[in-house]
Amino acid sequence: MLILDCPNCGKRNASEFRYGGEVHPRPPAAQQLSEAEWAHYLYMRPNQQGVQSEWWYHRAGCGLWFLAERHTYTGQVTRTWLPENPKSDD
Amino acid sequence: MTDSTERLAPQAGEAIDRSRSFEFTFEGRTYTAHPGDTIASALAAAGVRVFSRSFKYHRPRGLLCGAGHCPNCLVQIGDEPNVRSCQRPAEEGMAVKAQNAWPSLDFDLLSLTKYFSALMPVGFYYKTFIRPRFLWPLYEKVLRRAAGLGKVDPHSHGEGFSKEFLHAEVVVVGGGPTGISAALAAAGQGARVLLCEEQAALGGHLRFWGAQEALPGLLAELAGQPRIQVLTGTMVTGWYADHWLSAVQGKRLYKIRARSVVAATGAYEQPLLFAGNDLPGVMLGGAVLRLLRLYGVKPGHRAVVVAGDAQGWEVAQALRSAGVEVGAVLSGDGRDGAEGFEVLRGYAVAQAEGGRRLRRVVLADGQGGRRRLDCDLLVLGGNWAPAADLAYMAGCRAEYDADRGEYRFAQMRPGFFAAGRVNGVPGIEGQRLDGQRAGLEAAGYLGLGSGPVAGLAEELRQLGPTPARAWVPPASGEGKNFVCLCEDVTDTDVQTAVAEGYESPELLKRYSTISMGPCQGKMCGINALHLCARARGLSMRQAVRTTARPPTVPVSLGNLAGQHLEPVQHTPIHQWHLDHGARMMGAGLWMRPEHYGDAAAEVRAVRQGVGLIDVSTLGKMQFTGPGVGALLEKLYVNPWRRLGVGRARYGVMCNDEGVVIDDGVGARLGEEEWYLTTTSSGAAGVFELVQWWMQAGWGEGAHLADLTEAFAAFNLAGPQSRTVLQRLTPLDLGNGALPYMHARQGEVAGVPCRLMRLGFTGELSYEIHCPSGYGLHLWEALMEAGKALGITPFGVEAQRVLRLEKAHIIVGQDTDALADALSVGLEGVVKLDKPDFLGKRSLMRVAGAGSQQRLTGFRMVRPGLVPEEGLQIVERRGGKLEIIGWITSSRFSPTLGEAIGLCWLPSGLAGRSGSEFSIFREGELLEARVHLGAFYDPAGEKVRG
Amino acid sequence: MWRKVPLRDEYEVVIIGGGAHGLACAYYLAKDHGITDVAVLDKSYIGSGGSGRNTAIVRSNYLTPEGVRFYDESVKLYEQMACELDFNVMFSQRGHLTLAHSDASVRTMRRRAEVNKLQGVNSRLIWPDEIARLCPHLDLSDHPRHPIQAALYHPPGGIIRHDAVVWGYAREADRRGVEIHQETEVTGLRVDDGRIQGAETSRGLVKAGKVLNATAGWGSTIAGMAGIELPMTTFPLQACVTEPLKPFLNTVVVSGSLHVYVSQSDRGELVTGASVDPFASYSLAGSLSFLEEISGHLLELFPCLSQVRILRQWAGLCEMPPDFSPIMGITPVEGFFIDTGWGTYGFKASPICGKTLAALIATGRTPDLIAPFRLSRFAENQLVGEKGAASVGH
Repeated sequence: MLILDCPNCGKRNASEFRYGGEVHPRPPAAQQLSEAEWAHYLYMRPNQQGVQSEWWYHRAGCGLWFLAERHTYTGQVTRTWLPENPKSDD
Repeated sequence: MTDSTERLAPQAGEAIDRSRSFEFTFEGRTYTAHPGDTIASALAAAGVRVFSRSFKYHRPRGLLCGAGHCPNCLVQIGDEPNVRSCQRPAEEGMAVKAQNAWPSLDFDLLSLTKYFSALMPVGFYYKTFIRPRFLWPLYEKVLRRAAGLGKVDPHSHGEGFSKEFLHAEVVVVGGGPTGISAALAAAGQGARVLLCEEQAALGGHLRFWGAQEALPGLLAELAGQPRIQVLTGTMVTGWYADHWLSAVQGKRLYKIRARSVVAATGAYEQPLLFAGNDLPGVMLGGAVLRLLRLYGVKPGHRAVVVAGDAQGWEVAQALRSAGVEVGAVLSGDGRDGAEGFEVLRGYAVAQAEGGRRLRRVVLADGQGGRRRLDCDLLVLGGNWAPAADLAYMAGCRAEYDADRGEYRFAQMRPGFFAAGRVNGVPGIEGQRLDGQRAGLEAAGYLGLGSGPVAGLAEELRQLGPTPARAWVPPASGEGKNFVCLCEDVTDTDVQTAVAEGYESPELLKRYSTISMGPCQGKMCGINALHLCARARGLSMRQAVRTTARPPTVPVSLGNLAGQHLEPVQHTPIHQWHLDHGARMMGAGLWMRPEHYGDAAAEVRAVRQGVGLIDVSTLGKMQFTGPGVGALLEKLYVNPWRRLGVGRARYGVMCNDEGVVIDDGVGARLGEEEWYLTTTSSGAAGVFELVQWWMQAGWGEGAHLADLTEAFAAFNLAGPQSRTVLQRLTPLDLGNGALPYMHARQGEVAGVPCRLMRLGFTGELSYEIHCPSGYGLHLWEALMEAGKALGITPFGVEAQRVLRLEKAHIIVGQDTDALADALSVGLEGVVKLDKPDFLGKRSLMRVAGAGSQQRLTGFRMVRPGLVPEEGLQIVERRGGKLEIIGWITSSRFSPTLGEAIGLCWLPSGLAGRSGSEFSIFREGELLEARVHLGAFYDPAGEKVRG
Repeated sequence: MWRKVPLRDEYEVVIIGGGAHGLACAYYLAKDHGITDVAVLDKSYIGSGGSGRNTAIVRSNYLTPEGVRFYDESVKLYEQMACELDFNVMFSQRGHLTLAHSDASVRTMRRRAEVNKLQGVNSRLIWPDEIARLCPHLDLSDHPRHPIQAALYHPPGGIIRHDAVVWGYAREADRRGVEIHQETEVTGLRVDDGRIQGAETSRGLVKAGKVLNATAGWGSTIAGMAGIELPMTTFPLQACVTEPLKPFLNTVVVSGSLHVYVSQSDRGELVTGASVDPFASYSLAGSLSFLEEISGHLLELFPCLSQVRILRQWAGLCEMPPDFSPIMGITPVEGFFIDTGWGTYGFKASPICGKTLAALIATGRTPDLIAPFRLSRFAENQLVGEKGAASVGH
């Protein structure tokens, strides 16, 4: 079973975490997007074999969300880190 | 009772305790056994030769490998199917039966299929039974009955399974000389080692052949080593990501996190390919030595031995010492007959002959010369395949070494090491050195010690390479030559399959079913690869091995499931509900009262008097900080920021597709203190989601605590609710002091509470939240305070009816994964002119384009008929009934005396009060009418009173 | 069964993916439309992807009218397949049960039964007494944590020899002149001026004016080579098989709440699977957690099976779109067609998929049956709502 290094708690079994999907930032000016562009944000994903940045939630632990870089084929996790908190845009 | 005619005099180091004996039955006959005997060894001691019938042709099969690898000794014990009798200890009173034979093992009618075998070549079922089509179910029934081995007993009940976690720095798999050496070497460097051995005792093959005298010394070194934990009777069944291992010991499943692994798993003995190679009496060398030395059993009376290497010679000598006549030894390694045997060089087994057991072998010298020898035991020695499955599962790669005649590791996974026979090193000295090497490497990998010294590699080199072993191709003889014993696949079948185009080993496997039986390819995988390569004219290096998959040996569902632990969540009022006749229902992990005997009466009580419901299962979120208003503004479709202190509001949360994902109520308890509820089933998901948005950038100045389990919550509802509550609290509950959609904090029954005046049920009502520890006290106080007014506890069912009478939605029931907030009818809640919120962009589109479908209320034209939830609404178009909507909620309303509900309809129809539509039910159409808004008290006077 | 011929450098149609879908399409191109200048390319052996890794369940008891109609066409084609391909695919219509363990689940099952009935598909809601008759080994007491309340019974559903479907189509397509090239991996796609030109492979460039992406699991990888992003995420889906047993389970049994489906093959093995893995991956290695969970769920349904042994576990890849419905048809690149988004429900659609895509490729017109599954539906906000009927709740 994969080991994930929670930035807060350290190395834990993957079963303690919930997968949150590929990193996919929400467009800041959503109202200006066309229907096709908005649908692209909502639904389209790269979904490639290779290293991707993704979200994980430490459900059975500290309850923090963090980011990881993982290769979707080999499973190797190269790094994990907590997101920086950018200022709210409003 | 059958005598143990084949039992020998006591053997040094034998595994049986001759001072005691007991009885068991096999196929209805009684046999004796000693403690330490396996079922197979006890039966063999009594001269039993046939143990099972093969899968397809029902051929008699006897002991072959003695190691639990082949399918020949599978039996049924009581309700347990497919037991490997050569591994399972015999026990007093066991009732053992043969499988897949009828009417008996000795006389199996289905063996008559051998006369039809020409009609049943590999893959025959793909080419037959195609026409006439209507007969296929009948053919299939016959095929199914003939298939399968063991029987499932419907009353079987497994118990006592458990699981345990283990951690180790080095896990050594295999407790033979190699494994023991590796464990000692790693522990010597300071590593914490776990050594797993499949058999009940350590020693591996040293228990019954080879340098047996070395075993006591090795065991002595191991004894008392504080850093080595030894598990015997423990089979490592799988390697998983990051060195996560599964291992089975009886009824226990171990889940092991290793930081490194040393595989010292040895090798599988392989059968040779010749006609009649599956006759009872044909045995592998290890099976013979185990019977002789561990159990003191004579495996036959006159033997021919194929000695491919040193082990074969040892077999010949051991047989002779046991009084077995050895007719000849076929020498494969160049030794001569100095030991007094007749040695035949250059001969191979062409054929084994016999009916239900071996009677004679035919040997061929390759130049046309043949010899026939009478015998009842043919020993096949000297053909090995590394037991490397675990290493392959870990992603280690191997290449075929044509000189050595077996697969060799070419690339190992970091942290995974292989040593000993699995690594191609035979012989005790080599295995001790190689084990040491691997143990030191594993320790070095972990930063303990500096790995093996250069001299070690040199010593290993000096021992010389593994003797070359060419693969023995199948002999051509008359009769079937079995490659796969589990599935009765012959070498002719392999050639046929390859010729038909199933060339790659994977296609060959799927078409012929080679290696898909109980042996999992241990006996046949390598032979099949050779045959496949040969048929295609390829070298073995070009053949791609099929993928090794867990488990290494079959593992029971009971072991994998372990104890049956199903968590359930109770509210503080749980026992009270049970004591008062509640019928409980599961709601996710929670148990909630569905009703207390009469849901309709509960509805009436709420409408006319006062009722109390336990809603402790609601999700509860406490937000604090200056940034909460802005955060909630973005998370929900409705406005929050300007909600005054002491005010409450219904909130709906959508995702960015505008789809409703949850709803609840929120109250602003202070300038920077907010308290929001979610649905019971949505609680965990909403909390995770809110956390994500907060951490992704919206959480500045906001703090969230999950109070779902910290607080109990009740809803006191009905015209008398104020009267009841006022008795318990100093707070002024007058309509001016605590109006509808307001919140207060204060004491109720002496307990600090949060009060919210809400209206899910459509009556004057108060939602009361208190810390869970006070929950039962508060509940009982409320029940006591309302006693004179006939307060009635009500459950989920009554609540469903009450909310339906007000046309309130239940998220997840009236909405689904595509229902957006506007189409659901929540326009009054959605504030589209907020600058940004989850779902705004998509909802703007819906607002502009209009909804195609809308959720709306309905009443039945015939008031007594209650249509079931899930029924479809239809319209006749061109002679066909087309679906235009469906019923999401439907109940008989005791308050209104008619059936009411919610449904999805096309927008135009849904917006017109009174328009009629048809519900399809069991071939008939029921008529209904659209009803807009609440069914009961549409002006909402009751809630505001 | 199929010829081994040299790979040419140009074809009228190139199909990427030699599974049941790709081969069915090739077969129908030849049979229905007389188009035989077709090459089917697979990076490994035919049927090495999802076609060889599924649990071989065929059914049409879906949730949406479009879904039901689509899968029903597939079931009808499966019923005729053995005769049509002259290859016994061993389609065993032994009945399919989807168990409901809560009232919400009963509601969903009733909804499916009603939608099915209105499309002319045989499904109905049944109650514990009838469930007991069909499946006597199920635990129908209220002992389990989630007692069985009802079931959606779908008599035409059943199991099939999945590899045989691949082989049958391969042989017939080959017989009609289609070329099948195994061990031929597509490494890139040539697009010029918005039009497909061909595929770069491990054995050289192959030009074609029409290319079909039928690589379920790797759909995004191939589409990415043409610069197209698809609305899918790939997850492993695991399955396992037990040692062979004498026949006792006569129907296919599915439980959405317990995340498990199981059937007994004609060889006597129990074939069983659950829901997709919890995180996205292209790895085909199985996990211990899967074996533990599925064993627990199987024993909850069938407590008598604790001594039955798992023989082998494996995994396939499932690309999951947001509405649990496939993504089929044209793309913004002219001549480049996709057959993707097949999630956990792809194998059962193979015949109808092959037939409709062959029609599209041959005529340029998208058949009505698959119009709901077009890629553009996401931009048009016309998602298909099948989430409630994929075999296990997601």
